[in-house]
Amino acid sequence: MGELFHLEDVTKVYKMGEVEVRALDGVSFAIQRGEFLAIMGPSGSGKSTVMHLLGCLDRPTSGRMVLDGLDLLKASDNQLAEIRNAKIGFVFQQFNLLPRESALRNVETPAIYAGMKRSERVRRARELLERVGLGDRLFHFPSQLSGGERQRVAIARALMNDPAIVLADEPTGNLDTKTGEEILTLFRNLHKEGRTVVLVTHDRRVAEYASRILHMQDGRILKEERVN
Amino acid sequence: MLRTTINSLSAHKLRTALSVLGILIGVASVIAMISVGQGATYDIRSRVESLGADLVTVSPAFRVGRAGVASAQITETFTLELADELAKAPAVRDVVPVIQTNGTIKYRDRNLQTTLMGVTPAYPSVVNYPVARGRFFSAQDLENYAKVLVLGSEVAQQLFPDEDPLGKEVVLERAGTRFLFTIIGVMTSKGQLGFGQYDNRIYLPVTTVARRITGDRTVNFYNLRVASTDQVDEAIAQVEFILSRRISNPEDYRVRAQQDIIETVNQNAITMTFLLGGIAAIALLVGGIGIMNILLVSVVERTREIGIRKALGAKRRDILWQFLTESVFVSVLGGVMGLLMGVGAAALIASFSRWPLIVPSYAVFLALGFSLIVGLIFGVYPAARAARLDPVEALRYE
Repeated sequence: MGELFHLEDVTKVYKMGEVEVRALDGVSFAIQRGEFLAIMGPSGSGKSTVMHLLGCLDRPTSGRMVLDGLDLLKASDNQLAEIRNAKIGFVFQQFNLLPRESALRNVETPAIYAGMKRSERVRRARELLERVGLGDRLFHFPSQLSGGERQRVAIARALMNDPAIVLADEPTGNLDTKTGEEILTLFRNLHKEGRTVVLVTHDRRVAEYASRILHMQDGRILKEERVN
Repeated sequence: MLRTTINSLSAHKLRTALSVLGILIGVASVIAMISVGQGATYDIRSRVESLGADLVTVSPAFRVGRAGVASAQITETFTLELADELAKAPAVRDVVPVIQTNGTIKYRDRNLQTTLMGVTPAYPSVVNYPVARGRFFSAQDLENYAKVLVLGSEVAQQLFPDEDPLGKEVVLERAGTRFLFTIIGVMTSKGQLGFGQYDNRIYLPVTTVARRITGDRTVNFYNLRVASTDQVDEAIAQVEFILSRRISNPEDYRVRAQQDIIETVNQNAITMTFLLGGIAAIALLVGGIGIMNILLVSVVERTREIGIRKALGAKRRDILWQFLTESVFVSVLGGVMGLLMGVGAAALIASFSRWPLIVPSYAVFLALGFSLIVGLIFGVYPAARAARLDPVEALRYE
């Protein structure tokens, strides 16, 4: 299996005017290839900051972060964009679909930035949408889809460039319990197929879908828990 | 990429349409103004040129009044006899002394205020202005102080709307005195010149005017025809020499070649075209600011979209291009439509003014190039702002 992501003594300090806010205070952990990991904690615990760092949307203030052998602290903005494009698949609480593009086009977008050929891109996007059960909704716009359907489009989009890691930030936060369970089952299936999935949540029932839970509080990792 | 552009532009149709309109008006006015300037110039120039490049005009200059002496034309030496002197210049073929005065021409119950031109039989050939019907007066008419006249085409039309003017007797009235004249001819239509309206005048033997009407042998100016076009400078030198022996101050008279007038017209035309084009360019600039304004609003509105795109792997360059493409798309669309509208407007104006439609190719390139540049310049700042957005902040934006 091996290590996919390695974080060592990572800190993140935000400057809010004169005041410094220590969002992360020396966090170290590793993510194994093919693992289903949940990062859990109340709001303000630093889990969103971890999510942004894991998603390469931001750089830590200090520490060491290595993804798949790449040192993220040394990466330029452009390199980070390339890493996000090739290695990260995002699923957000608010779905974050592009409102003016069809479901198909939304799924295609990461591949457009990767420079994939149009014919191949459309074929793959179609396949992924069919896999999440939306084969008959290809040309619907986000506003014409239900919450559960939107999140499925987002998952298909996250898988488009065959990422090393799927990052989900409260993916069921805006869904009812039943739809939420369907989405979580989808993530569990992805894990079973061998994908690395990281779930960020405040909800214990959601976190229990993972095989390992990191509990965070005040910018630190409080404890680690194995789930069966 | 183009699909993304069209999608986001069509999401705000009215807004896009108004931005396009801004550029459209700018480009259309640039094209129309330049075309109007060129058309008007062509029109004036062709009329001036129709007098012939070998025409030279000798006229008295105005003297500035000083110490109670009113400014006055130096007319004492400008007489019918001087015409014969000037004709001795070897490079001059013909000299026509011209006496110009105003009067009223009456036929039955119709009358018309008009300009009386006392000239000689050489006049039609000197100013390149032939008779259409009937005949011009002869050397004999000149000698006999004949009471004959030739009508300009406009005068003929107004005084004789449905009659043949040839052979008709008309009354000329000037300063309370009335004269009976016979019409012997009608001139061709020459159109309107910047400084003279040939068609609105009547033409009489200069001797008749001097003796019977004004009672004064001084003339207003001389029209000279040079022997050949390449002798214009020579003719001017000879004429100036003859004049210098009679008039001590060379500033008291002016000798102007038609060529110089053509050049002046051309110079004025260039100035006018640039002035009009410049005003229109300001409209284009305003259109560009309109685009920038809309784009800046659009960048703020789409902060979240930009965040999503960055999360999906869009680089700064990708976001920059996306917004720049929108701006250039809008401005070039406006440019192309403006080009069509501008040519249309120019064609309309040209057809009303009866001058040819001239759209110089540089105007087309200028307008299209300008709209492209406007799109780029006014798109760069908003696009760069969008590209610089921090992905985390952009994703958090509500």
